[in-house]
Amino acid sequence: MFKYTVKRLLQSVVTVLTVVTIVFLLLRMLPTDYYFTEDQLMKFSEQQRTEQLEAAGLLDPVPEQLFRFYGQLIQGDLGESRRIQNGVPVTDVISKKFGISMQLGLISVAISLVVGVGMGVMQAKHKDRILDYTGTAYTVFVNAVPPLVSYSLILLFGSRILGLPSMYSSRNAGASSILPIVCLSLSSIAWYALWTRRYMIDELNKDYIKLARVKGMSNKEIMVKHVLRNAFVPLAQYLPASLLLTISGSLLAERFFSVPGMGPLMTDAISRYDTNIVQVLVILYAALGIIGVFLGDILMMIIDPRITLIDKEGGAR
Amino acid sequence: MEDQKKDLETVNEDELFHFVEYSPDAAETVSYSEYSYWRSVWQNFLKKKSAVVLSIVFIALVIFSFIALAIGKYNYQELIPDSTKSFIAPNAEYWFGTDNIGRDYWCQVWYASQTSIKLALIVALGECALGITIGCLWGYVRKLDRFITEVYNIITNIPVIIYMTLIALMIGQSFEIMAVSLILFGWLVMARNVRNLVLMYRDREYNLASRTLGTNIWRILVKNILPYLISVIILRLALSIPGTISMESTLSYLGLGLDINTPSLGILLRNARSYFLDYPYLLVFPAIIVSVITITFYLIGNAFSDASDPRNHV
Repeated sequence: MFKYTVKRLLQSVVTVLTVVTIVFLLLRMLPTDYYFTEDQLMKFSEQQRTEQLEAAGLLDPVPEQLFRFYGQLIQGDLGESRRIQNGVPVTDVISKKFGISMQLGLISVAISLVVGVGMGVMQAKHKDRILDYTGTAYTVFVNAVPPLVSYSLILLFGSRILGLPSMYSSRNAGASSILPIVCLSLSSIAWYALWTRRYMIDELNKDYIKLARVKGMSNKEIMVKHVLRNAFVPLAQYLPASLLLTISGSLLAERFFSVPGMGPLMTDAISRYDTNIVQVLVILYAALGIIGVFLGDILMMIIDPRITLIDKEGGAR
Repeated sequence: MEDQKKDLETVNEDELFHFVEYSPDAAETVSYSEYSYWRSVWQNFLKKKSAVVLSIVFIALVIFSFIALAIGKYNYQELIPDSTKSFIAPNAEYWFGTDNIGRDYWCQVWYASQTSIKLALIVALGECALGITIGCLWGYVRKLDRFITEVYNIITNIPVIIYMTLIALMIGQSFEIMAVSLILFGWLVMARNVRNLVLMYRDREYNLASRTLGTNIWRILVKNILPYLISVIILRLALSIPGTISMESTLSYLGLGLDINTPSLGILLRNARSYFLDYPYLLVFPAIIVSVITITFYLIGNAFSDASDPRNHV
């Protein structure tokens, strides 16, 4: 197990490094004009602009920039933001923002876990009846309709009929987070419901359930102790990743409700040539994703003792 | 039971069994079943009444989008901003009302839905072609496996939004650029699905036999393996259409998708975001049309994919 963990960790480091290197190179393909605001572009002469770029080290040959970046990474220096917040260390920019995203995200994961799994269980229990069809209609709607449309409909309903605030504001954080959280939960509720239902129905048809019935176990006991536990194993794999990735926020939902979170930071940073922020974000997200999958595997192993990671290693992915 | 026994007793054994005379003609005839794959698919599909109704709704909507543009009182190319006419509620002159700068909303909405459908179909077909080709090679040619897996890992590990932002900033924003870039990053899922299935069927005995007989790669892939993948491919294709419409609206809303002069769902909702709380019709009309398009296509795709699974054929 230890050897396996180390091997997997090393592989992950290589992946993260490759990814960040490619993003680094992609970013250098952007025209340097994006480094300046429109005002500066108008005011500065060609010479002034070149001087600024040189001072920031952006006109050096790309390999040189890349090795400087590696050097800084090894020293643990993640650099400073240039344009989003002038001269502030990237870590500070991120630490100020991720709290909000994570707060909304965690609440939404909790809600969707409870509501989604509950919905899936009810659907499986009442298969092919009204309740099941209602649930399926919900999942179809959420999966098919573009999120922009469903967010707009929620916003319209929530603010016209329920009188909730249509924009996030830190002064009224409680009430104004309701609509963003509902929007964030929308698709994950559908996801949990869909797969819980599917896995539970698969499990219900297995022989050991018949045996449990014959033994005289109550329906409720069978559902909770046997079916749900087995059906939850494949879902558990995604849980840690979805918890960790709440840090990264949601681009559309946060833009839509003007939440000052992490979601829009990446695109903002790219369009303003704030390369340090983009690179750090890429490292962060890739690392979180990889750790999430790893924790997911471990969680799956804890819930279902039959699964071992060592065997999986040889198998095809 | 009783009757049968009686029947058997009365019948003479010689009448039941007799020798057949040798006929060269009969020896040459080959028996074959009337089974045709696509006809079974079609019959299975027709059995699902809901799917048929949905297909009719979808096709009618597409046809109507052309009629709607033709019968509308305004032509999209000739819309002139006129602030005196802004926010007119739907009436006999402006069937869907007017937007914030006084342009007819009816023709904008229908034009936008056409753009969405067109983009979605192009991207779906492109994704399919690229995804199936690469997926087959990935799964079938062992030497390429390592290489394509690495490429796949690298592309999927970088958030799509980075590519899209870079493309929007470096190359520009237009319908063609959007279509090409969505295809370039959309084939991955299809290719992985196809690859996993090809791996499953690659070494079955009948393929081994084909290979030993010297059948070339393309024939094995197209004739022996692809038919098994059709239902998965169709499902992916059907899911990709609502997916593309979602992606387009999200990106355009964020300012990274289509340019502002191509009306599409994302652009319409982006313009309407600040106003639709006061003028709900700005949201309701495009929302209904787009929801009908995506939901019908999603359900049709699911039904067709069930129908095209040979295991469901009787």
